[in-house]
Amino acid sequence: MSSIDTDFSRRRFIEWFAKSFLGVGVGSLARRASAAPPVGGHAKQVIAIYLRGGMSHVDTFDPKPGRPEMAGVRAIATSADGVQVGAWFPKLARQMHHIALVRSMTSTQGVHERGAYLAQTSYFQTPTISHPSLGTWTLKQLGTDNPLLPGFVLVNGSPQHPGSGYMASHLAPLPIIDPAAGLQNSTLLRGETPADFARRDALSRTLSSRFTSGTKNRTAAAYAKIHEEAVGLMRSKDLAAFDISREPASVAAAYGPHTFGKGCLLARRLIEHGVRFVEVNDEHNWDTHNDHVVQMEQMTPPTDQALAALLADLHERGLLATTLVILTTEFGRSPEINSVTAGRGHHPGAFTWWLAGGGIKGGTVYGASDASGTRVADKPVTMPDFNATVATALGIDIAATEHSPSGRPFTIAHDGKPVLDLFA
Amino acid sequence: MNQLGRVIAAGLVAAPLVASLMPDAPAAAETAAGAASPDFERDVLPLLYSRCFACHSGKKAEPAAGMKLDTATGIHEAAVIVPGKPDASELLARVSLPLTDEHFMPPLKGGGQPLSESERDLLRRWITAGAPFGSWQAFEHREPAIEFAGSQLSRADVPTLARQVDGLIDAWHATQGTRLNPPIDDEVFLRRVYLDVAGRIPSLAETRRFLADGSTGKRARLIDEVLDGPGYVSHTFNWKADLLRIIAGTPGWMYDEWVKESVRTDMPYDKFVRRLVTSSGYPWDDGAVGFYLRDLGMPLDHTSNMARVFLGTRIECAQCHDHPHEPVTQQDFYQLSAYTFGVTNLCSEAGFSVDNVRHWKALKAKLEDTQAGDNVRQAASRTVAVLKRLTKDTTNELVYPKDYALEPARGTKAGTRTPFGDEAPAAVEKRREALAAWMTSPRNPRFSRNITNRLWKRVLGVGLVEPVDSLSPMTRPAQPELFAFLSEMMARLGFDERAFLAVVLNTRLYQSGADDEPPAPGQPSALRGPLVRRLSAEQVWDSLLTLLVQDLDERKTPNDHTWEREEYHRLATMGPDELLARSRVMSEFFRNRRENDLRRKALLVSLDAARRSGNSEEERRLDAQLKIVNRELTDLKVSAGVEPPARAKEADPRWSRLNSGWVRASELAVPVQLGHFLRQFGQSDRREIDAFSRDAKVTHALSLMNGDLTGAVVAPTSLLMKSLATVKDRDDRIRTLYEAILIRSPTDEESRACRDAWEAAATPERDIAWALVNTPEFLFVQ
Repeated sequence: MSSIDTDFSRRRFIEWFAKSFLGVGVGSLARRASAAPPVGGHAKQVIAIYLRGGMSHVDTFDPKPGRPEMAGVRAIATSADGVQVGAWFPKLARQMHHIALVRSMTSTQGVHERGAYLAQTSYFQTPTISHPSLGTWTLKQLGTDNPLLPGFVLVNGSPQHPGSGYMASHLAPLPIIDPAAGLQNSTLLRGETPADFARRDALSRTLSSRFTSGTKNRTAAAYAKIHEEAVGLMRSKDLAAFDISREPASVAAAYGPHTFGKGCLLARRLIEHGVRFVEVNDEHNWDTHNDHVVQMEQMTPPTDQALAALLADLHERGLLATTLVILTTEFGRSPEINSVTAGRGHHPGAFTWWLAGGGIKGGTVYGASDASGTRVADKPVTMPDFNATVATALGIDIAATEHSPSGRPFTIAHDGKPVLDLFA
Repeated sequence: MNQLGRVIAAGLVAAPLVASLMPDAPAAAETAAGAASPDFERDVLPLLYSRCFACHSGKKAEPAAGMKLDTATGIHEAAVIVPGKPDASELLARVSLPLTDEHFMPPLKGGGQPLSESERDLLRRWITAGAPFGSWQAFEHREPAIEFAGSQLSRADVPTLARQVDGLIDAWHATQGTRLNPPIDDEVFLRRVYLDVAGRIPSLAETRRFLADGSTGKRARLIDEVLDGPGYVSHTFNWKADLLRIIAGTPGWMYDEWVKESVRTDMPYDKFVRRLVTSSGYPWDDGAVGFYLRDLGMPLDHTSNMARVFLGTRIECAQCHDHPHEPVTQQDFYQLSAYTFGVTNLCSEAGFSVDNVRHWKALKAKLEDTQAGDNVRQAASRTVAVLKRLTKDTTNELVYPKDYALEPARGTKAGTRTPFGDEAPAAVEKRREALAAWMTSPRNPRFSRNITNRLWKRVLGVGLVEPVDSLSPMTRPAQPELFAFLSEMMARLGFDERAFLAVVLNTRLYQSGADDEPPAPGQPSALRGPLVRRLSAEQVWDSLLTLLVQDLDERKTPNDHTWEREEYHRLATMGPDELLARSRVMSEFFRNRRENDLRRKALLVSLDAARRSGNSEEERRLDAQLKIVNRELTDLKVSAGVEPPARAKEADPRWSRLNSGWVRASELAVPVQLGHFLRQFGQSDRREIDAFSRDAKVTHALSLMNGDLTGAVVAPTSLLMKSLATVKDRDDRIRTLYEAILIRSPTDEESRACRDAWEAAATPERDIAWALVNTPEFLFVQ
């Protein structure tokens, strides 16, 4: 990354960043549940993996060995006693002792956008209000421990992501489009030297003064400041949090050369630098209406590699105890294979999400679907329940109410009830 | 029973309240003596309306504590006011308790807003004065219709009307002892008009032409020219699309194009709303049905948004329960919603209904008869999917929900009734016509006021009533004569939005210097001039593109959808036999596409392996195969009729070398990608009404310093840089850059700074352009 030669005070940088990126004070943990909850509260940060399109459950994390629904896919043993997964995930199988599978997820939303919206906000999508996503809620309730960096980063997110919903725009995720490229627009224009930049920047400040000194508009004043501070960011050491090229080749190789691997590696770097909530979407579309098995053969290896590397790496660095990793998707897929398309349809009735780290009881399975994976057979868990569990793991009071601008009350997980059995 | 006595006896009155209750407290005595006696209808009634009527009024089936504070008799009977004795009046005591007291009014639990000190003081003074009602007897919950008999006006009347508005504003300033800000010069005016009306800065040529024009009346002529130009269509579309939440996907471009066409053809606003409300048919025949398709399965939310956008009224609270702060009941809501409930798809929770497909039954029978395989059956279902988007009326009627407050009415039909203004009874099959006629009538007390207020805000930055969606029977604009004149004028102009804007833009108010900050909440617009505002994301994008793309407003995305429209139309006119034949073709196409897809994926895997192993010969071979497979896919699509023979590429020499995404924001499908310039600068994702943001963020500065657009602006080949080609003199070049980017001449000091830059750099023009694009001034309209 190019650096530029400008004076910048670190203290002012911290103050500015906390306000303009995050809109929160340093270490504002006041919103944690006042009385310690009976369980949970061990997680401090979150990596949320989102698989776009709706990933199949019966041949991945809720295998039905020997059943026709598996479409010939084998189930394999894992590092967790008695827990099997589909043969697509040999590497992740060796990390299964960290993971708690929730095989009794259930929802009523079978349309992509609506399923994703419920997964991310705990509320049904309606045209009269836009609900904040789980990451925004987390940032709002817990603030950030590192004001140098944004509190919520979204890697490879979809344009439909609910973001900060009705909450203030500074609680919106900072989007990273290409994890290998780091923070967007933080490097100089092509062909521009640091000297060019410094010269142009100095001139711009001079030419700005007539307007900024002539107006009392607060947003105008904010822009003058932000320009100055963005220059500081460009030469700040903390920008390195976004730069995965600084990782040793062996680490990068473990995560893999694909976008998802890079996204997971970036997530780990951001967690190390104190970012509260990192959401990573992979580059695949799991909407396998056609040729399910062939598509899964192509899509799963990078996912398997990156997720396994992420869990192992977090564990080795001692970060997994305080970092909750979750894997979600908008629904499962129909256990029955379509005879015409050899694919699977949308199936919100039963599917699997999982959690790892952050005080979660690893190597376990919670709930169950029926023999064919069609319906929930035991201990149904809704998306709001799951999100309430995430909030509880973070020590967030799930009853804490925030009002929309029109005065409507909302909570982090709507009517969800945490699954306390999932905690170690 | 005297409740106040109970409250005081229970020792619940906090010390500050006791102090304020003491008659000889100096502050209270001073206020009581110093201010005029409040007028009940003007001052007190709005407080009762917004704080009490939601629970204590005759509008409620069961008023809380049996109190009806909406009639003079009711207030007497409730015995909460003792005339002349504020300290003995329970009403005042209750609103003055500590916030934590369980007897505090209004209850905070539902989001109630405590009375401010001045509001409590107002009540105190009114009670002290003997609590006079004047001639007031009872509150009329049903806001009356407006008596409208104005004669027709047209755009030819604009100059006269503008002078009349000037007169009303002068008269208001005379009562306030205030005045307009000083008049603006031509440069500020030019930039302001272009940004407010065309949504972008003027091009260098447009700027030069206007500034060089020495004739009188050139401002009025410019206003007309920009209002009638293509930029207005683009900018107005963005505004309407944010209100109507127009997004890519369903109904997507068909709705989008219909709204643009309505702006282009100058469709009067009342007709625009009538067309939306009464729209029927397929979206490719009447794009206005997007109004319903957008809210598939959500009839109640649809009503909330309709009331908010077209009537300036927020009633979504009453979807689920009586409004907690206003006397608007769930019954009011349901009766309004009952007008549109019967529309297909709107009321269907299960998604688009196959019942909308005219030949579905016949097609199914044919599938049976021919013993069609699963492949053809599934292809049939996908073939007709688009036909499910038909919008038409059914006789479905809205019923009260299972948890409706009035138990006997649960599950019964709500029936239609308008919440205010004229009644609009309607037969079930004519519900939407009745609603549309009522809503868009000049007699509707909120229709013309709403659009008047919104258009006023659009160009002046602040509405005459704020928030713009807070119209109610209690709306008390600070400038009532002006608001009434403008609202009537809008109706008399036949709801011609351009004519209305022309009046406002020709006023002295609009052509005065800008105020830096909006009025404080609750304070009226000072009417000294427009507000300084940050440009919308679209205005920033479109302004930067003005520096990059010649004749920007004329550039469209290459795909004009004509082919799709014809294909959909053809499908809609097919009979069962043709549909079956079509399904067979589609079945074959799906099979071939699957096969093609598998081959492509396998090739991609091999290609990746070849690249990794550095086998370039193999890589070339596979690459060639991949091209063939891709071409086969295109051929498959064309021969199956799912894609036109050849997608048009940019052919116009003005733009052929430019990025195809460099078109006006209005031409891009929303929501755009995260990280796109527009999204970064706060463009709405259109999930909600007006969900845009104008907040300053550090990513904006990064984007303007280091982003692609800035890089393109300062590139030697950019439109901006090429415009300097014929300008040889250094000072002329500096002036040209200023005129092109900030639409003004540089000050002496700025010229000096630029001349210094000239000496210091090898590429001074690029430095200056970079510097000007990065000034906050570029991001604001003044």
